Amino acid sequence: MQQTSALDLTFSALADGTRRSMIRALAGGQTPSAGELGRQFRSAQPTISKHLKVLEEAGLVQRTVEGRVHRFRLRQKPLKEAEQWIARQQAFWTGAVEQLDRLLQGS
Amino acid sequence: MSHEPAVAEIRRRLRAPPDRVFSAFAQVEMISRWLTPSPEIKLTVLEFDFRVGGAYRFAYHITGGQVMIVNGTYRSIEPASKIVFTWNIEAPDEHAGLHSQVIIAIMPDGDGCELHIRHERLAQSGAVERHSEGWRGALDQLAALLCSTWAVA
Repeated sequence: MQQTSALDLTFSALADGTRRSMIRALAGGQTPSAGELGRQFRSAQPTISKHLKVLEEAGLVQRTVEGRVHRFRLRQKPLKEAEQWIARQQAFWTGAVEQLDRLLQGS
Repeated sequence: MSHEPAVAEIRRRLRAPPDRVFSAFAQVEMISRWLTPSPEIKLTVLEFDFRVGGAYRFAYHITGGQVMIVNGTYRSIEPASKIVFTWNIEAPDEHAGLHSQVIIAIMPDGDGCELHIRHERLAQSGAVERHSEGWRGALDQLAALLCSTWAVA
């Protein structure tokens, strides 16, 4: 059985277009309620709640409960880690192809 | 981040014909001379079985004595044009546990070729396997239950 890394969970959560839009809506530091997000995305509340749960499990949003209102805030750390993975692979292949080019020219 | 976010991609025109570029991926004595992110990081090939289903394992000697080990399997090989392989970084690396794949496409372009490399996360491969294992387990239990019921009957 394979182990799922935290990063895998982040990428899974980000694989959905609606969830990426929700992340963007939170990027300015706002802390909307589930109801406000539902109106903004014109989606049924259960759909929004499901997406928020996935984002929460991946550590991408943090939920705070104020009475009956659940508010959501973006957590930057997993996003940064996801970006670092992409940047690392990008740097790896850029460097490797540079060397490949030199090798092919030289021999 | 409007598209699938877990992708690194590069394109590069090379002044070498497609079959030479393909050889650089296919021959172990070539690979160790270039497949590292910088000349300071040396590659030791621990395993290299270049055929569909064959495995590879590379050790990267990073400055400061650290070693990063990558392993994977060749999933598809089309001579002089395409290679697909999985790419897993082994523990204790910070990115261990994330399963990804690399798609190499080599297209002829005049007297050279264009090399296109796409490195992407393998979407939920682990999750899919876990699910199918779960189902297998459930079916095995069901089969066992039915057999015991029949045995009693």
